[in-house]
Amino acid sequence: MAIIKSNSEIASAIWRMTVSGTPLGRAGQFFMLRVPGALDPLLGRPISICEIDAELGETTFVYQTVGRGTAQFARLLPGQEIEAQGPYGNGFPLKAGRAVLIGGGIGTAPMLQLAKELHASDPTRMIDVYLGFREEAYLEKSFEQYADSVTRNIGGYVVNDVDFSLDATYYACGPAPMLRAAASAADEASANLFVSLEKHMACGVGACLGCTCQTEHGRKRVCKDGPVFDYREVRDAI
Amino acid sequence: MQSNPLELTLCGIFLKNPVIAASGTFGFGHEYSEVMDISRLGGISGKGLTLNGSAGNKGMRVYETPSGMLNSIGLENPGVRHFVEHEAAYMRTLGPAVIANLGGHCEEDYLEGARLLNNADIDILELNISCPNVKAGGMAFGMLPDTAADITKKVKAVSKHPVMVKLSPNAPDLVAVARACEGAGADALSLVNTFLGMAIDVKKKRPVFENIYAGLSGPAILPIALRMVHQVAHAVNIPVVGMGGITSAEDALKFLMAGAVAVQVGTMTFADPNAMLSIIDGLAEYCAQEGLANLQEIVGII
Ligand SMILES: Cc1cc2nc3c(=O)[nH]c(=O)nc-3n(C[C@H](O)[C@H](O)[C@H](O)COP(=O)(O)OP(=O)(O)OC[C@H]3O[C@@H](n4cnc5c(N)ncnc54)[C@H](O)[C@@H]3O)c2cc1C
Ligand SMILES: Cc1cc2nc3c(=O)[nH]c(=O)nc-3n(C[C@H](O)[C@H](O)[C@H](O)COP(=O)(O)O)c2cc1C
Ligand code: FES
Repeated sequence: MAIIKSNSEIASAIWRMTVSGTPLGRAGQFFMLRVPGALDPLLGRPISICEIDAELGETTFVYQTVGRGTAQFARLLPGQEIEAQGPYGNGFPLKAGRAVLIGGGIGTAPMLQLAKELHASDPTRMIDVYLGFREEAYLEKSFEQYADSVTRNIGGYVVNDVDFSLDATYYACGPAPMLRAAASAADEASANLFVSLEKHMACGVGACLGCTCQTEHGRKRVCKDGPVFDYREVRDAI
Repeated sequence: MQSNPLELTLCGIFLKNPVIAASGTFGFGHEYSEVMDISRLGGISGKGLTLNGSAGNKGMRVYETPSGMLNSIGLENPGVRHFVEHEAAYMRTLGPAVIANLGGHCEEDYLEGARLLNNADIDILELNISCPNVKAGGMAFGMLPDTAADITKKVKAVSKHPVMVKLSPNAPDLVAVARACEGAGADALSLVNTFLGMAIDVKKKRPVFENIYAGLSGPAILPIALRMVHQVAHAVNIPVVGMGGITSAEDALKFLMAGAVAVQVGTMTFADPNAMLSIIDGLAEYCAQEGLANLQEIVGII
């Protein structure tokens, strides 16, 4: 059980919640968050780790209120408990060398912890961040401490801003059309790209087979074998 | 030595408590063994198997509904041979009683599957004639007394394991199906599997699931499942294992009082992986409070 330290709206319908007492995790992993004891909504909601402060023992989530579960989270107050099961999933691989991070909308959230880990593991590496938003930017400033460049795009196609011909590893999280665009760009430039996928989930641990997707190597569970995949493996699932 | 008030025997198999992980909600135990102490469970029913395995259904597979969920997994599974060679021995190491759940698309699938399972170290074969999510077979076998009795009899004839038949709440006359299975030699019955339901995406103007219909589980179904367990338990003389929406020790007690000797828990484990452990603790507390030497004393009191 985690205790909520803060929970506030940082942009329209975008909330940032910091909790303490959660087991840690790493970039690209997620927790199944749930209001303790609630039977409606019943299932946990998969929410990515946005930022970990290991010293303070705090984990931050950034979530968009889209339905009943996330609306319920937005009503929680500091001091209240939230069930955070996890960390689940494989997380992003930290590849050596230059990194390019692409976040679309709420897909920006997991990119922050990724930038932090990439920077910490090699402070000399070049990190370029591209963030795309429909109307309003958020989290942008937090990237500046880790990244060499932060490019934002409001209302357009963030993937069009990215140069895929660099000698770098590309990481992307965002809506399916954005991931598809990134995949075709990566194809053309023969770039290495890792994508984080989203599927409706019931268990989050790999037991219910509710989130499986077709991959080059048979069916895989997004919650357990993913959510991060080499884009070539999950072409048909994006 | 103080005896354990939760223990029971089911089909001649010792269970240290009456809480069993429901088929299809627990894999073969690997995943939840990483997040909870699964050795404390009374039993584990593995993912539903089909003879040659299956990739399952396309499209959306899980969808939350008020206090419940619809699923259309479609029995994705690695096949009976894989289970016999790789999973059964692993499940045996976990501690709880091992139940293999066998589905099928046609009679020969069931019989060949049951024959192969004779080579596996399992405790009980749960004959799934109630999966609503596969096109051919599956639930069709569990809808009418005659077909249910026929497949039960044939599987009984080839299986060396006790056979527990898992019934579908979608059968027009569930009690008649239950009696027919008993007459055909079933050692126990388990119920309920999921209720056939539906969801529509109003924005897209189309069904949420590719199969159109899907199986409803979770707390939303509890009152109906409880009524069905009560009816069936009072109509047959073989043990009944009850399930459907159980979330707490209190819920489990309702099923026991209605006539089930043990319970299975499915959907609630997704919401809270430790739910079954809390249920076991709660049942032990109940026995202490009520001064019961064994929990089975309350089975069927209503
Ligand atoms: C691995 C992973 C990480 C995620 N990380 C974040 C994050 O950091 N921040 C964030 O805002 N969102 C994230 N999401 C999406 C988030 O899980 C959904 O927006 C949320 O579950 C919606 O719940 P709801 O009750 O508000 O919406 P409803 O639409 O009422 O939800 C109904 C059901 O559908 C499921 N569902 C609805 N939309 C999605 C979706 N896009 N993905 C998966 N399940 C969905 C819900 O979990 C619930 O079971 C992530 C999804 C996945 C799979
Ligand atoms: C995702 C999911 C998969 C299931 N798969 C199976 C299965 O393979 N075989 C089976 O007999 N029942 C299966 N069931 C049904 C459950 O075992 C159980 O009968 C039902 O969910 C009711 O219990 P609950 O409300 O506690 O979940 C499945 C249920 C769910 C939710
Ligand atoms: S959500 Fe259950 S297997 Fe992935």
